[in-house]
Amino acid sequence: MTTYIIRRLLLMIPTLLGMTFMLFAVVRFAPGLTTGGGQFSAGIMQSRQAQKQEQQIMERRLHLVDKNGHPINLVMQYILWLKSTCEGHLGTSIVYQEPVLTLIEQRLPVTLTINAIAMAVIYLVSLPGGLITALNQGRLIDRGYGFFSLALYSLPVIWLGSTLLGFFANPQYFNWFPSAGLHSTNTGNMTYFRYIADYLYHIVLPIVCSVYGGFAFLSKQIRGSILENLQQDYVRTARAKGLPESTVLVRHVFRNSLLNLITLTGMSLPGLLGGSVIIEQIFSINGMGRLAYTSTLSRDLPVIQDLALVGSVLTLLSYLAVDICYHLADPRVIYD
Amino acid sequence: MTDLTLSPMDQPALSAPRPYWGWVAVRLFRPLLVRLCAAYLAVLVLIALLVPLIANGQPYTCVVPATAGHAAVREYPLFRDLGTVSWILLVVAAALGAQGVVISLSHRLPKAQRMMRRRVGAVVITGITIIAGSLIAALHHNRLDAVNYRSLARHGLITHAVFPPVPWGYAEMEPLSKGLINQYPSHRHWLGTDGDGRDELSRLLWGARIAMGVGFVSQIIALAMGIVVGALTGYFGGIFDIILMRLVEMVESIPTFFLILTFVAVYGRHILDIMVIIGVTGWTGYARLLRAEFFRIRNLDYVLAAQGAGMPLWRVLFKHMLPNGVTPVLVSAGFGLAGAVTIEASLSYLGVGVQPPTASWGSMLNSAGNPATVFRWWQALGPGMLIFITVLAFNLFAESLRDAIDPTTMGRR
Repeated sequence: MTTYIIRRLLLMIPTLLGMTFMLFAVVRFAPGLTTGGGQFSAGIMQSRQAQKQEQQIMERRLHLVDKNGHPINLVMQYILWLKSTCEGHLGTSIVYQEPVLTLIEQRLPVTLTINAIAMAVIYLVSLPGGLITALNQGRLIDRGYGFFSLALYSLPVIWLGSTLLGFFANPQYFNWFPSAGLHSTNTGNMTYFRYIADYLYHIVLPIVCSVYGGFAFLSKQIRGSILENLQQDYVRTARAKGLPESTVLVRHVFRNSLLNLITLTGMSLPGLLGGSVIIEQIFSINGMGRLAYTSTLSRDLPVIQDLALVGSVLTLLSYLAVDICYHLADPRVIYD
Repeated sequence: MTDLTLSPMDQPALSAPRPYWGWVAVRLFRPLLVRLCAAYLAVLVLIALLVPLIANGQPYTCVVPATAGHAAVREYPLFRDLGTVSWILLVVAAALGAQGVVISLSHRLPKAQRMMRRRVGAVVITGITIIAGSLIAALHHNRLDAVNYRSLARHGLITHAVFPPVPWGYAEMEPLSKGLINQYPSHRHWLGTDGDGRDELSRLLWGARIAMGVGFVSQIIALAMGIVVGALTGYFGGIFDIILMRLVEMVESIPTFFLILTFVAVYGRHILDIMVIIGVTGWTGYARLLRAEFFRIRNLDYVLAAQGAGMPLWRVLFKHMLPNGVTPVLVSAGFGLAGAVTIEASLSYLGVGVQPPTASWGSMLNSAGNPATVFRWWQALGPGMLIFITVLAFNLFAESLRDAIDPTTMGRR
């Protein structure tokens, strides 16, 4: 097992190198990069001299030119970036003028809380959903649930999100929910429970939008694995020794079906941290997705590169974690 | 639950023995819902191909009346002003029609003759289409005709004008002075107008072209890449596998939408760029599926026989192995089509998709107003419903295909 983990970790290195270089090349080959602007220029007219100076500082910081102002080629730029990243220096945003790490620290809890709640809701609906449809295979409830969840899965979030917002958070129709953000303006003089309630009130619509599409996939997977497990010999044994059907289902079939959930949960971990660009954009939530979106639009190179790096490291690690957990949960699964 | 355990062998045979794909087609199209989905998608593809003939501000034909010294002239403004892309798509539509005619004409012939006819027909029609398409692309120049034929017809300056069923182009704006922007549905504009006074129905129909175009082209690109990489890694294994799978992991490790956003933000928002970008970020799933299938197939007897007979590699790979391993990939491509339509709509909704004034369902949703202040729901309803139904149709179709090829459900009638 240890050798397996080490091998997997070693294989991660070329993937990460290739990925970061690919993204690096894509972003840096592009015309019209944000290398100037930003720093002091918000609303203030700068002298040409100051602009030029700022441009030079920025170019040097992004390793576009060396100390003497000569341009550096792409591969060298990449190596310099890699060197500073390996030394633990993530970049500094051009637009926000803050280290990327600080930005991530600010945004990550926002996204993480919303997605964790959404995830919990999805599991709470899909687990019983999958169980019930599997036990009624082929009947009306199975087909109905399958069709309904597939329809929800197909419902575009850009339509549902904007329609919910347009009807339920709009003085024009029903002004029931807040239209943007996560907190009211007067959070300072709230009690703790009022604060939580206020937060929950704000995330109702975003949660609805991030939840409804997830039922189909998860219930389908659970249904499939329950059906598969129902065919197994140990179920027949359990029934033959006279266990009540509920015990067979819950203790034997359902528990074994949960093994597949490890994979599904692990695969959805990166998405949990990454956040949804569209939902965060529609509901004006300053989370990771919106950070990614605004920084790609403003071509904030350091943010794009570091977000991609962090994102892909997390993705690869969670894939590895899935395989290890699978082995721990089910010792029959062995990797060579 | 009993029919799960029945093997296909135990089933009574259908009226005549069918090839595998015949089986699949029969089982696929049995439910009414799937037939409805297929019909809807076929109509949508037809609309996408023929939309300039359906929704256009220029009449098919009109007569400029005789004036002093000039005889009356019959004009064909719509056909004169069709763009290059529209002409090529019309040729493609004609080719599809011709293909259908060939197939239906050869339906009753004996098998060998039928296959021969169809194969020759396909080659000839494809050849003619390619030649005609490249000729059009090389020789045809787009014109810009800003004449308002509707007002000419109203004032009697042209007669006998025959307009398309939806007499508005996708970028034609009502003059601001008339107060015809953001109109509710009326007899003049069947689905109302948007914030620039453009006809919603016409834009919906033109949006089908963008959605279908992005969906099919991007998935064809993704399938091509995925099939090549999956076939090579699955067949050769070893060092080849290790290297190419790193490539797959590289693309997979970044969240897809983030990757697409970065590409789109950096490299233009032309419709072709978006097709290619969605394609090159979406092939990894196909490669993985095909790789797994090829791992299974490559040691089967018939592959060894094909190799032993000295067939060239590409023939073993794509003629013998691919047809037996491609079905899960096709199912996945159905879901991929739905995904591509969603991604394009989302990009356009965020404002980084196709550029205005091109009509896309996503950008139409966006222009339905800022939902928190002014929300014109009737403008959001059309594109929202169309995206929903289209994506649902693709997903249902893919799921039914999966059920149809799944041997464990073979017994079900």
